[in-house]
Amino acid sequence: MAAETSRSFGKKRARDEESVLDKGDADGTLGLENNLTLSDTLIALQMMRAQFPNIEKVAMQPFILRSQLYSSVNDRTQVDRDLESLKEEKVLRLFKLNTGQDDHAIMFLDDYLKQVALAVKRLEIKNQQDIEVFEWFKKYVIETKLDVSIDHQELCSLLSCGGEVKDKHVTLLISAGLLNRQLIDPNMYWFTIPNIGSILKGLSQGRKELLSFLNRRKFKEMLLAPLEKKQLRFSPLDMRFHLRDLIGSGHLKTVQTPTGLLVRVSKD
Amino acid sequence: MWKAVKDREAGFLLPSSFATRIRSHRVASLDLSNHKEIVSPHNGAINSLQVDLTEERYLLSGSSDGSAAVYDIQHATDYERGLIAKHKSLFVVDKQHNHGHRYAISTAVWYPVDTGLFITGSFDHYIKVWDTNTTQVVMDFKMPGKVYRTAMSSIATTHMLIAAGSTDVQVRLCDIASGAFTHTLSGHRDGVMSLEWSTSSEWILVTGGCDGAIRFWDIRRAGCFRVLDQARSQLGRRPLAESTSKKGSVTGQSSSAKSMVSQRRIPLGNETKQLRALHKSQHLPRGPVVQRLHPGLSSTHNRAVAHYGAVTGLRATGDGMYLLSSGSDSRLRLWDVDSGYNTLVNFEAMRLQPTKALQLAVTQDSSLVFVPCLSTVKAYDVQSGMTFRTFCGHYELVNCCCLSSQDQELYTGSNDRQILVWSPASPVIAEVEEGKGGWVSVADQDNWSD
Repeated sequence: MAAETSRSFGKKRARDEESVLDKGDADGTLGLENNLTLSDTLIALQMMRAQFPNIEKVAMQPFILRSQLYSSVNDRTQVDRDLESLKEEKVLRLFKLNTGQDDHAIMFLDDYLKQVALAVKRLEIKNQQDIEVFEWFKKYVIETKLDVSIDHQELCSLLSCGGEVKDKHVTLLISAGLLNRQLIDPNMYWFTIPNIGSILKGLSQGRKELLSFLNRRKFKEMLLAPLEKKQLRFSPLDMRFHLRDLIGSGHLKTVQTPTGLLVRVSKD
Repeated sequence: MWKAVKDREAGFLLPSSFATRIRSHRVASLDLSNHKEIVSPHNGAINSLQVDLTEERYLLSGSSDGSAAVYDIQHATDYERGLIAKHKSLFVVDKQHNHGHRYAISTAVWYPVDTGLFITGSFDHYIKVWDTNTTQVVMDFKMPGKVYRTAMSSIATTHMLIAAGSTDVQVRLCDIASGAFTHTLSGHRDGVMSLEWSTSSEWILVTGGCDGAIRFWDIRRAGCFRVLDQARSQLGRRPLAESTSKKGSVTGQSSSAKSMVSQRRIPLGNETKQLRALHKSQHLPRGPVVQRLHPGLSSTHNRAVAHYGAVTGLRATGDGMYLLSSGSDSRLRLWDVDSGYNTLVNFEAMRLQPTKALQLAVTQDSSLVFVPCLSTVKAYDVQSGMTFRTFCGHYELVNCCCLSSQDQELYTGSNDRQILVWSPASPVIAEVEEGKGGWVSVADQDNWSD
């Protein structure tokens, strides 16, 4: 909680956010139904960050998918614009994921730096040379390049502010999981979240499982309340995460019924 | 509506806003027409539809079975039961024609000045210019790849160039007056799937490629002067302007639209010693040579992409201020043409077909955009991105839609070989009776009391 307050702007806002977050945690038990839509992007982000499931096997900092944000806030254009301005203010960072056509993950900058530090520590144990490149990366590249991708020229020129850059420095960055080569263009790299591989696999498997579960039902729909309590077998992420993601990307839609929200597979 | 007429008469309402109001009312009430039908002679998917620009009377359609047909959409060829007007094709040119196309026709456009000529482009690598009255091929151009799109500028007064995009990376401009290729525009790294001439200048061409880039070309100069980048965005209608430079950030991306390739990126924490060291040890492992360019031109090495995937459709708004682009990443983006920035308007979740080029339509006052989404057509509000209406009527994927601004009718063509007409709610026809020239509605007949 202290981390959140230090990040917010001004005392009044900090108080508001704290109260919302406390309520948010309590609401976690009440369910998705009551807090499916919110009005502010940052509040939605922080609430979803607080609700990120705790995965035992992998030490993973919370991240939020863009489609989850779309399902939580009414106006999508406003979400896009807020994300853009938050990105410019260096509160959070966007990453393009390889699990779908337009999947993006949003991570708060502090969480990302923590994740990078974990990855660097793991690599440090294995070999001691050339680790200064991570310092350069953190100091020069992350601070200045706010996009999801970077090209080779720019990467080298930014890293060389720290010292002399060689090929093996870039290779080290890739093996640590901080950068990934683009398939269509060998000179461009995507920024990636280190150690996210198994979770992404769980993400796509969980999506498939949830969609196939609903498709197998007679009318391809189910009430939200009992659906939320189900456990997914193939995904370490919880049901609420997947529901928000699929509703936001348009695969599922919610219908209001007298007995509560109903989740239905969307036809087109 | 009568109150609006009285207001216009009294001077409270401007005639132009009266007309806009009527038009937007009509567009808002669009639905599958119950009084008009187009009988399509095609045996393949309809790939392209266009209403002629001079009188908005003739509809030209191009289809996957190599046939192109023209329909008169204002006068029906016959009436079914006096109520439904059936519009049959006036003529069809297909594979049986001795100079017809051999494979699918991907694009069919009218000559913008009059309906005496039309141009078809096909997957058999040919672009043919036809004379409408004699249905003969007047000229043809052989392209190096399958032709995806052709376009002619509707505001051109000094040239009659056909811009053609094909699977080849170069965009070619064909001249009808001379019968030769006048320009070859290189810059794209993959085929060019969508093309559009600017609505504000007869010299500016916008092309969208399968590599995801959208480039602006001024055909009077060599090279493109702008590449749209989805990462550079503005919030709202005017650009973010100088905020990036205020933070002193590194990126050489200046906020001016005509950006030049930065020669060297000045790093943060700039110290002269460091700079000198930078210059000395500047042997970067790999990388393209920094090119010297003419001012105002964008490098061919500019890798900015507008979409993650191919750009499947482009449409400029009538006032020339915005450009809409649809991509195979199922996103529709709105670009501010003046600044070249992404306006970040989010058009709600849609699934667009990724492999084929789409034809979008925009209303005349640029308030609504019609997008073919799988087997429906969705109308979105351009500035806010909210879904306005969804038109479900086709049985299979919709490829093209065309809005006739005079009649406010929407024509859509799809893979199910049908052209559907969507028209505003028509007044209820009370009765019909058999008259001298066939069925005629009673409302049209004279009814004098003697």
